Amino acid sequence: MVRMPTATSVVTPARYEQGLTYADFLAQTVVNRDKFEQNYQNAPLSEDDLAYFRKAAARPGGPAKILAIAEAWCGDVYRELPTVARIAEATGMDLRVFPRDLNPDIMDQFLSNEGKSRAIPVFVFYTKDMRYLTHFTERSALAHAELAAVAEQVKSKLNLPQTATFANLPEADRQVFLRELIAGILPRSEAWRKEAIREMRELL
Amino acid sequence: MSVPVIYTIRGCDACVKLLSKWEAEGRVWEERRVELSQATLDEARRYGDMVPIVVWPDGRVEQGFEGSLGCFL
Repeated sequence: MVRMPTATSVVTPARYEQGLTYADFLAQTVVNRDKFEQNYQNAPLSEDDLAYFRKAAARPGGPAKILAIAEAWCGDVYRELPTVARIAEATGMDLRVFPRDLNPDIMDQFLSNEGKSRAIPVFVFYTKDMRYLTHFTERSALAHAELAAVAEQVKSKLNLPQTATFANLPEADRQVFLRELIAGILPRSEAWRKEAIREMRELL
Repeated sequence: MSVPVIYTIRGCDACVKLLSKWEAEGRVWEERRVELSQATLDEARRYGDMVPIVVWPDGRVEQGFEGSLGCFL
């Protein structure tokens, strides 16, 4: 999650209108349609969540448009984008999806990890007249923290030195570390979805 | 399978780094791009959850590339 003013010069109203609707994005997607559909159907949005987002959207100068940077192959995208589609539908916000690799200029304005990462999804919230409000990137702060915590647990389990990182491990250890790390974080997916909603509520 | 198979996504930085390194080293491999077909994506998931995935002729499987975590599938 990033909370900071961001230049959005390339996202003019005309450019925004060129984005895909969620339905069009799904229609041109060749992978993971089942996961998008499943996560749309079971989006962990409570009535309280929906009421909160509706209230935010109704505020003068509140969020009215959402720009999503996404790619269908990305696990973080099919985990979070369907939820945002449900929020848009429930609140009347307009959602436009921009495939990351076809829109590098937009992606470049929302880089993470100190400008080094093209992490997705990115959800950028604008007012009706396209004033930037805020944006959410990739996964929640809790998810990032849990990822780091699981990495530490795996190090302990495998008796790896505390200085061990994915980058400095011998290849054999690195593969075991990665398998254990993935096994440790996959069960957290549902909690991360709920936490993303909580963070977007905070942002808005 | 006589050459390594690499499951990739062209938008994945770790995949691009791996391919660039192997190309510079003159290696031979078969690339299978998972973003282009659900069947290839499902095939890749049999080996791992994160591209790049290298499946060696002897059956060994490696995910990620050197210091770079890849992209979750």
